Amino acid sequence: MATEERPSICFVCHECDALQQVSAIKPGNTVNCLCCGSKLFSNPVNGIEKPLALIVAAAILFIVANVYPVMTINIAGIERAATLTDSAMIFIELGRPELAAMVWIPGVLIPGFIIFGLFYILFSIRFNLALPYTRPLLVWASRLLPWAMMDVFLLGVLVALVKLVALASVFLGPGFYAFVVLVLAYAAATASLEPHTLWQALGEQSDGQREACCER
Amino acid sequence: MSDNIVRAKDLGMAGCHTCGQVVRLMEKKHCVCPRCGSDVHYRKNNSITRAWALLISAFIMYIPANTEPIMYTTSLGQQGSDTIMSGVIYFLSHGDWPLALVIFSASVLVPIAKMITIAYILIMVQRGSARRQAENTRLYILAELMGKWSMVDVFVVALLAALIQLGTLTTIEPGPAGMAFASMVILTMFAAMALDPKLIWDQTE
Repeated sequence: MATEERPSICFVCHECDALQQVSAIKPGNTVNCLCCGSKLFSNPVNGIEKPLALIVAAAILFIVANVYPVMTINIAGIERAATLTDSAMIFIELGRPELAAMVWIPGVLIPGFIIFGLFYILFSIRFNLALPYTRPLLVWASRLLPWAMMDVFLLGVLVALVKLVALASVFLGPGFYAFVVLVLAYAAATASLEPHTLWQALGEQSDGQREACCER
Repeated sequence: MSDNIVRAKDLGMAGCHTCGQVVRLMEKKHCVCPRCGSDVHYRKNNSITRAWALLISAFIMYIPANTEPIMYTTSLGQQGSDTIMSGVIYFLSHGDWPLALVIFSASVLVPIAKMITIAYILIMVQRGSARRQAENTRLYILAELMGKWSMVDVFVVALLAALIQLGTLTTIEPGPAGMAFASMVILTMFAAMALDPKLIWDQTE
């Protein structure tokens, strides 16, 4: 049985297991655990609209960043351009598919899944569409969140850029600028998302089904 | 800590790891979360054993990650190899100390700091120590967040290899350290996930 009532909500701290009854808070505020001080939950202003807007921006930038080359280099008249995916695929050409997976999965696949998954969930909540599979999508998006390494990939791009400038003439492609803004938009979107808000919104959509499950 | 703090476990309740739903477990060891369908349990299964196993494996991978070459460069028939430290020294000798610092922290300092942090928390939990619980929880959260940055070198080699393929002129190929780095990052991330921070708070004076 779930103990969750609207004005005051029961929370178990994720880090220290302290059980706390928290009354509803004003938008823009955060509640920290009484015991260990880590964040319990927050009530962000425009908790659905703001992340949705940022995720839409991130989704567009994600496509641009993955279609256009990040960099083009010119050594002795020979030009070569690479997109983010190219940098993973080169490892397959070199006979190292495991390294290709290690670059492509956390660098492109998981961030892409999270961006488009969150877009689907937020879109469904914002327009009251009750689209199917929002819950399993949110479960997997939250489980995969630590494995999205776009920010690390960006640092890698910058380090590679510095190394290449010493060797050849380097031109930054549209993919590079899109990628920089993408990382910022993605970080802002995930920071403005409160899992509790999403789960409560999803809970309201199909309450009947949920209450039935709770009696187990 | 404060006397009026109640642990969910003592009341037969638990919070879902994925969605935070509070569930009444009572005598059951685990159940399916009514809200998101994940498995809900009081504490992660075999948390300490699993965390140690993953941590030791990660430490073993840390050694080849730093001693083996991360990439081989062939330029006009001449072969060269680069380890992480030779890359750091290259940047230092060219006066690029901010970049040297970034590479050194991400590849050498962050992984060892993360592994020491997890080992320290595991030892504190196993010794039943109830000291500095709030500080150790914060250390755990920090260790959980910073581990992925060690992947940066794998991405750098990928980009360099993709761009510098000029037939017989110059080629860059990945070395064995790449996979060692990637495995180390995955293993330390799994180790941090296996360690249940709630165990820190299960100890009382």
